[in-house]
Amino acid sequence: MSKIKLQSSDGETFEVEIEIAKCSVTIKTMLEDLGMDEDEEEVVPLPNVNSAILRKVIQWATYHKDDPPPPEDDENKEKRTDDISSWDADFLKVDQGTLFELILAANYLDIKGLLDVTCKTVANMIKGKAPEEIRKTFNIKNDFTASEEEQVRKENEWCEEK
Amino acid sequence: MVCGDFSGKIYKFFNILVHRTMIYAGRNKVESSHQSPFQERNKELDAHKSNSCRLWWRGKNKHNRYYISEKSTQMAVDSVKQQLNKVFHEDEAPINKKLPKELLLRIFSYLDVVSLCRCGQVSKSWNILALDGSNWQRIDLFDFQRDVEGPIIENISRRCGGFLRQLSLRGCQSMADGSMKTLAQLCPNVEDLNLNGCKKITDATCNALSRHCSKLQRLNLDSCVSITDSSLKAISDGCPNMTHVNISWCCNITENGVEALARGCPKLKSFISKGCKQITSRAVICLANFCQQLQVANLFGCNNIRDEAVQALADKCPRLHYLCLSGCSALTDIALIALAQQCHLLSTLEVAGCSQFTDAAFQALSKNCRFLEKLDLDECVLITDITLIHLAMGCPRIDKLTLSHCELITDEGIRHLSMSPCAAENLTVLELDNCPLVTDASLEHLTSCHNLQRVELYDCQLITRIGIRRLRNHLPNIKVHAYFAPITPPPSAGGSRQRICRCCVII
Repeated sequence: MSKIKLQSSDGETFEVEIEIAKCSVTIKTMLEDLGMDEDEEEVVPLPNVNSAILRKVIQWATYHKDDPPPPEDDENKEKRTDDISSWDADFLKVDQGTLFELILAANYLDIKGLLDVTCKTVANMIKGKAPEEIRKTFNIKNDFTASEEEQVRKENEWCEEK
Repeated sequence: MVCGDFSGKIYKFFNILVHRTMIYAGRNKVESSHQSPFQERNKELDAHKSNSCRLWWRGKNKHNRYYISEKSTQMAVDSVKQQLNKVFHEDEAPINKKLPKELLLRIFSYLDVVSLCRCGQVSKSWNILALDGSNWQRIDLFDFQRDVEGPIIENISRRCGGFLRQLSLRGCQSMADGSMKTLAQLCPNVEDLNLNGCKKITDATCNALSRHCSKLQRLNLDSCVSITDSSLKAISDGCPNMTHVNISWCCNITENGVEALARGCPKLKSFISKGCKQITSRAVICLANFCQQLQVANLFGCNNIRDEAVQALADKCPRLHYLCLSGCSALTDIALIALAQQCHLLSTLEVAGCSQFTDAAFQALSKNCRFLEKLDLDECVLITDITLIHLAMGCPRIDKLTLSHCELITDEGIRHLSMSPCAAENLTVLELDNCPLVTDASLEHLTSCHNLQRVELYDCQLITRIGIRRLRNHLPNIKVHAYFAPITPPPSAGGSRQRICRCCVII
């Protein structure tokens, strides 16, 4: 199995099977476009991903290497968030900072499966919460004035149970 | 030359980085425009991704010093970033700090209406993102029908703008023309609009839709009782892409409206007009002539239509697979035989109350329509066991069969049905209520229908509790609906005194 070296932003190098690295569409198209030689000792720098995150991404990609390609987004279907596998749920039991870094990395490396599951995880942290609870969860500052807050509350109260 | 080329490249790379940084640092900036940045940003990012890869590659191959230059570029970028951060206020929340808008929007795309409305109350930047039209492309407000009033729809229309494609206002009774006009003006790309039960709306709504929403494909006006033919004329003029129309219980609609609709909307696939008693054969013939792609037609209770209407549908619309003619009591075997000969794809046929149909018509149907799955023959009082014998032979896919009030059906018919391929494989629901000749022997036969889940036996006088118990022994999960009246007490029980009511005596 041929391998490829990925270098994180902080200089650490990871040797990964090419097939696993190719779950990143960014890396895959790059290799295809540029016709990487198999035996050439190439190091692909990934200046937007640090070693801690890259290690997690590689761990995820290795576990999911035999997955069928994720389905295209179907705008007609309501997106589910209750279909996260237990392995993924465990894998994503990380602090918020790491979770957001993973989203960024998945987006940059174009790994749809990882991007979907990380975004779903954050969506689940929002669902079912009142505005104040959401602020607490993410440490967001309420920058509305009292009257603005009252106005947005009124605008949106129709969807709340009475 | 080489040098110039090289510095040009650096300049380009620097530009991309700075650009990215600006997107990055500007993520908290409150956007004043109503347009969503989502798609544009994604394109930018994609372009950036492939550009930076290519630049990296070129740099690597041709200029080894490129990396060093990149580092100094990075330092310059960092200082730009710092400056930008000073300009835009710092938000302490990591979610806003780390994630650019397009990724927050991606997270929001997993949220339901209620969660989005709550996110909109969190902070100013979240208000803009959560209420961004890209999150509001498909909205179903049925769950909030009692609370949804005009201003809410106007507000949502403003949020959604051109993004809105699908909206269900089913049951939102306070909806009136004014709000619908606003919606039509602000959301010109709406494709699917459900106004089922919005009783206040009138032709003015359809006029506005006609004027602004030419992409409309599905319109449900079920129970919008005030609309008239001019609504259908408007739709016909302005919405040529219409594929699904429901005008059930809009009693003012006549053949003229349907004719206009048919002429203007040749792509119509589904036409539902339950209870529109003014619809005539001519209306249905127009529909058949102009809308030959028709797959679904529901003419429930349109009791003015005659055989020639169904013949036209059969001749012109070979793709018809769902047809309801229940309550069209003027129809005769001629109609059904025409259907049988032309519409081989029929999978659902409802002819409840078409009491002139005979075994001959169902014989033809069984021979030609092998894909029939659901068949409602309620009150086809002339049919006998012969119909069941033919269905058993010809239609292996039947899963729901209604024979209510088919009073001539006997155990022999049920015996044939239960020996058929459909009984062994597919039959899940059998309705036999008010079939007075059916006895426990029928239930005995039905024990071979392994998939049977429900049997209706109301008012089958010859069915006994013992027969039902036996059926349940074979099919433990089956639902049997039957009613056995309590035994009437013998007339002598109370004696003659009770002829006068006790309280009357006291008074």
